[in-house]
Amino acid sequence: MIDDGKIVALFASPERAPDEAFVARIERAVRAESRVAAARRTAWRRFAVECAASAAILAVFDLLWRLRPDELALAQLPFAPAAAAAVLVLGLWFAVEMRPAATGR
Amino acid sequence: MDQDIELARRVAAGDAAALSVLVRAHEAAVRRFLRRLAGESADDLAQETFLKAWRLAGHYRGEGRYRAWLMRIAWTTFLEAQRAGRRREMREAGAPPPPAPAHPDLRIDLERALAVLGERERAAALLCFGEGCSHGEAAEIMELPLGTLKSLVARARVGLLETLEA
Repeated sequence: MIDDGKIVALFASPERAPDEAFVARIERAVRAESRVAAARRTAWRRFAVECAASAAILAVFDLLWRLRPDELALAQLPFAPAAAAAVLVLGLWFAVEMRPAATGR
Repeated sequence: MDQDIELARRVAAGDAAALSVLVRAHEAAVRRFLRRLAGESADDLAQETFLKAWRLAGHYRGEGRYRAWLMRIAWTTFLEAQRAGRRREMREAGAPPPPAPAHPDLRIDLERALAVLGERERAAALLCFGEGCSHGEAAEIMELPLGTLKSLVARARVGLLETLEA
């Protein structure tokens, strides 16, 4: 008859030192994962900036389409603050995109 | 245990060196558990387990042993791999069934006895007999009611005894 103690003994494994090769494998995997996560964050940030810039461009085109030479001056339009903000965002986007680090030049 | 909690807190803050210390402390138990469950794919599953422990570090609140939390991740990782394997098998209908888990380090009797158990019974036996988990801890790891876990352990015990005494 085999009792629980003998079953536990069968499962027992001798103590061993940590497997440094396995630890190094996990460290490499964690480093790779961190790099991927950082690249993903950068890509999302870039995507958000591109979306804002696209919206700004559309707003500026919309503004230009609405304006007629014989109509009101830009400052008198009801949506002038929004248009000014869009132009500012567009300018910022242009400045960021033209940085040497961003273009790789 | 307090040291593990402190290390886990550091891992949650993004300290990869603290994770290395935890890997050194627990890799043997996690890999042994997975090797007896999954055979040759154990090390890949163990790597996935520790990567999940890195990603989900903030979820460990220090309630219970860190090793039990790791074992829970290892068990769910194993189940996910099993499900993915079954889906693959269904797509490749006619492929031969995977071989029973085996490892030369295991004593042949134990290997034979474990192979006849279902995967939940095997996991329950490995946790309670092999890793020294209490029934409550094993139930949490396997996300089962305590009564169900006790039934699994009892069935595993009968299955092991039948094979070992045969």
